[in-house]
Amino acid sequence: MRTFSYVKATSLKQVGELLAANADAKLLAGGMTLIPTMKARLAQPSHLIDIAGIAELSGIEVKDGKLTIGAATKHVEVAKSAVVKKAIPALAYLASHIGDPQVRNRGTIGGSLANNDPAADYPSAALSLNATIVTSKREIAADDFFQGMFTTALEAGEVVVKIVFPVPAKAAYEKFPHPASGYAMAGSFVSQHGKNVVRVAITGAGPGVFRWKDAEAALGKKLAAASVEGLSVDATDLNEDMHGTKEYRANLAKVMTKRAVAKLAVTAAASKSGGK
Amino acid sequence: MDQHHHSQLFKVGNAQVSRLEDIRLITGNGKYSSDWNAPDQLHACFLRSDRAHARIVSINFDKVGQIKGVIGVYTGADAKVAGYLRPPSFLPATGKGGMKARVPERPCLAIGKVRFVGDPVAMVIADSHLAAQDACELIEVVYEDLPAVVDPEDALKPGAPQLHDDVPGNNPYEAESGSEAPVTEAIANAAYVVKLTVDCTRVTASPMEPRAALIEYKADTDSYVVHTPSQGVNMTRKQFATYANLGEDKFRVEIQDVGGGFGQRSTCYPEYVSMMMAAKALQRPIKWVSTRTESFLTDTHGRANIITCTLAMDKNAQFTGLRVDWLTDQGAYLSPTGPAGHIRNPTTCLNGVYKIPALYAHFRVALTNTGWVAAYRGAGRPDIAYAIERVVDAAARELNMDPADLRRRNYVPLNEYPYKSATGSTIEIADLPGLSAKALTLADWSGFEARRAASAKKGKLRGIGMSAVIEPTGAGTYPRDEIELSVNADGLVTLHTVAHSQGQGHETSFAMVTANALGIPTERIKVRQGDADRSVTMVGNHSGGSRTMVGAGTVCHIAANKLIDAGKSLAAEDLGVEPSQVSYSKGEFSSPHSKKKITLAQLAAKKKLSVVGEGTFTSTYPNGCHITEVEIDPETGVTDIASYLSVDDCGHIVSHTIVEGQMHGAVVQGLGQVFGEHIVYDKESGQMITGSFSDYIMPRAGQLKSMQMEEYTTLSKIGPLGIKGMGESGCTASLPALVNAVSNALGVKHLDMPLTPSKVWATIQQNKAHLAKHH
Repeated sequence: MRTFSYVKATSLKQVGELLAANADAKLLAGGMTLIPTMKARLAQPSHLIDIAGIAELSGIEVKDGKLTIGAATKHVEVAKSAVVKKAIPALAYLASHIGDPQVRNRGTIGGSLANNDPAADYPSAALSLNATIVTSKREIAADDFFQGMFTTALEAGEVVVKIVFPVPAKAAYEKFPHPASGYAMAGSFVSQHGKNVVRVAITGAGPGVFRWKDAEAALGKKLAAASVEGLSVDATDLNEDMHGTKEYRANLAKVMTKRAVAKLAVTAAASKSGGK
Repeated sequence: MDQHHHSQLFKVGNAQVSRLEDIRLITGNGKYSSDWNAPDQLHACFLRSDRAHARIVSINFDKVGQIKGVIGVYTGADAKVAGYLRPPSFLPATGKGGMKARVPERPCLAIGKVRFVGDPVAMVIADSHLAAQDACELIEVVYEDLPAVVDPEDALKPGAPQLHDDVPGNNPYEAESGSEAPVTEAIANAAYVVKLTVDCTRVTASPMEPRAALIEYKADTDSYVVHTPSQGVNMTRKQFATYANLGEDKFRVEIQDVGGGFGQRSTCYPEYVSMMMAAKALQRPIKWVSTRTESFLTDTHGRANIITCTLAMDKNAQFTGLRVDWLTDQGAYLSPTGPAGHIRNPTTCLNGVYKIPALYAHFRVALTNTGWVAAYRGAGRPDIAYAIERVVDAAARELNMDPADLRRRNYVPLNEYPYKSATGSTIEIADLPGLSAKALTLADWSGFEARRAASAKKGKLRGIGMSAVIEPTGAGTYPRDEIELSVNADGLVTLHTVAHSQGQGHETSFAMVTANALGIPTERIKVRQGDADRSVTMVGNHSGGSRTMVGAGTVCHIAANKLIDAGKSLAAEDLGVEPSQVSYSKGEFSSPHSKKKITLAQLAAKKKLSVVGEGTFTSTYPNGCHITEVEIDPETGVTDIASYLSVDDCGHIVSHTIVEGQMHGAVVQGLGQVFGEHIVYDKESGQMITGSFSDYIMPRAGQLKSMQMEEYTTLSKIGPLGIKGMGESGCTASLPALVNAVSNALGVKHLDMPLTPSKVWATIQQNKAHLAKHH
């Protein structure tokens, strides 16, 4: 790691000023990607602007059918939040399966979405749930936010402030962890909004999170694992390396989707019978 | 047949359930190599080759002066002046047909050429680690790229890129064991011949403690004090002395705790002797701590053997001959232990646990543009066991026989031990027919089909696999193992040993043996390892080859008895009797001829009470049968270990806690290799593509949820305690047992490691039709 200046920011306004004044400054939220990158000497920011303590970036609340989570909220806070567990239990489940306890106690939802690692978990939830990413400048729909590997619609100096998730009728997440890194080799977030609208977002398998629209259409007609059986994820643009072929990743995306849908059915049955 | 019952020779009075060193280690009070600091120390950082094979055209370090705190830069030119050109090699001088071993130079910093990604090119010394790192990035090296070869078979082909001028054909050594003609004849006359090639993959030890060193130069004696992870101070001194062309007396090794060894710590690495140059030139201690990336690239790797077994059988499925063709990839340079261990150890156990009248092995060694290879938990023993136990399973499959039955027909029977093998080994004692019968019963081998059917109902593919293995352990390379015991006026016994624990728990096991012999509580024995507090280094082996309890551990018993004898002589004067009239019990000397008594403490307060015990030991042969069942999810290719049973014969057990810990660790280390661990180089560029834990698949605790461990003991007579060295045997047994189980589940003859979910899934896709019928 090289030397850098550290600034603990107290307001979004101050963050904007610091970013404007220092071209090589970087935002530090949990630092779970940035710090290892700096340790490997692959990033050498002049300043680290710590945004973890900014009040405007914190808080979890449900209002008018929408769950809002501040960008600096740590994974562990989402995983343990009674509000999240009640509104979108699949989101709490997802957060409880990110990385390891150390990562969950440092990493933040805003950091994960802004980084848009193609194998991160949160982008699949944001995309499937049709979330809105509220920034220091504007509101961006999830469908427009994610633009491929480590790329988002964020502009220079733009800071993610909060994420607004419409509360779905049902949702479930299943992932296949990479045997070495534990990141998603394929993760599928399935959510139902109203009666016939189902959104399926796949992370890990391709160069960025994407919606599996064939599955959405089939599941919109009938929300059952069998609806996906005859379909297949187009493997053409998926990732391929020593850990798995495109075909293997396409298969995993499908299997994880089936398992998420199966979990939806169990969740639904449990809530009908009054179970938790 | 009381051989089969637990030893009565040596009963441990005070059962030790937890290890004496653990509180210190798990509360962060251990002292590892990077915890050593000297007030005026400087820091080293190495500039390493970023390419697999290239000529060095020029090295320009003009710019390093821009970095504040840089003291010096060293390159191959300095290595040449110092003469630090040849690491030690334990390879026998002549090989097959009188071939002379060709051990290439390995200057501590590259001269003229780099031969693998990570090869050290320059060393920067600075007053901080950061400055040294920054300076390294400013050194400009101009390379002329050369074609690289990373595959050992390719490296031996005509026209392959040549790594070393003095090693033609990248072929440093070939060796043979057994005799070829009888095996060729057995194959020609066989009713059945089964041939199988297995890749015992390249892996790395990934110890928790990274490689590190603090090296001090002592001008008054022109000598060095070395603090670096070691498996034993004598081996470390010997290797430093050889690399640096100095006497062993020029090195003191001062260390305390070592965080994992696995064979990777035995080597004197080029970084260390490079640091010696700077320590002497600058008269300042030099410190270096490896990054994890450097560990992946430059720590010695393990295994990397491609082995073909050709097994001949008669019409009754009796083994009549075995031919082994063995290709070991040693990387860009020969490590001290790599090639020798990978030939000697398999030769000793070339028959596995079987009666095979004709044996022959041909060993080829290849140099490639990859990291060097050395001993790794078993050093050739797991490799040969893996190859044999796979070909035996493949044979059972081809003959449509129960693999347990095929093994039963061929085990060396108990009454033929000591068994003389066709490669000239004398294997002391084992009882595989009895041991495996116990394992098969405990694992309910015959009830497997019902469990397979139950798994099939859940949509899972179930498989069962067994292994029956044996290996040589315990023999040392030093003339003897010594243990010194000294009693102080408080009655505390200090035990000195040069065998160094890297986590094995010698502070506990050595104390237990000694305390038992002396009849005093274990806590009264304080174990001191290495050169600490001593001006003269004792004689003794390093901890490696599962030898320490057989050697130094047994000598604790011998030394304790010697201490009692010495004490009797001293006590006789106080008691006013002849030494022969003195008896000793539980820390107290007394005599029926005298009413007086004197304790160890009282005696030590008056007189010097100190002895050195010694002993020399040959190989012991731990053996075992492991049986495991796996359940595979055909949708994802994930293998779940449904059950794992080990039945082992490691002779007399001193500490069950430690033996079980070793067995757990070794089985899981094997599991790691089976299911994920793999060092892979890109064939074109020679870049390592598994250089971090994001790509190198370590085993996870949850992969082996439980393990049933059982014993079946035959005692070794190599030492008075009946111990057989067992630190590596779990790994030897788990590799074949697990691969046999997965092959059985998938209905395939063989599948090379690592059995990752993607590989298993792809295999299922190819064999869908077969599996539908089979299951």
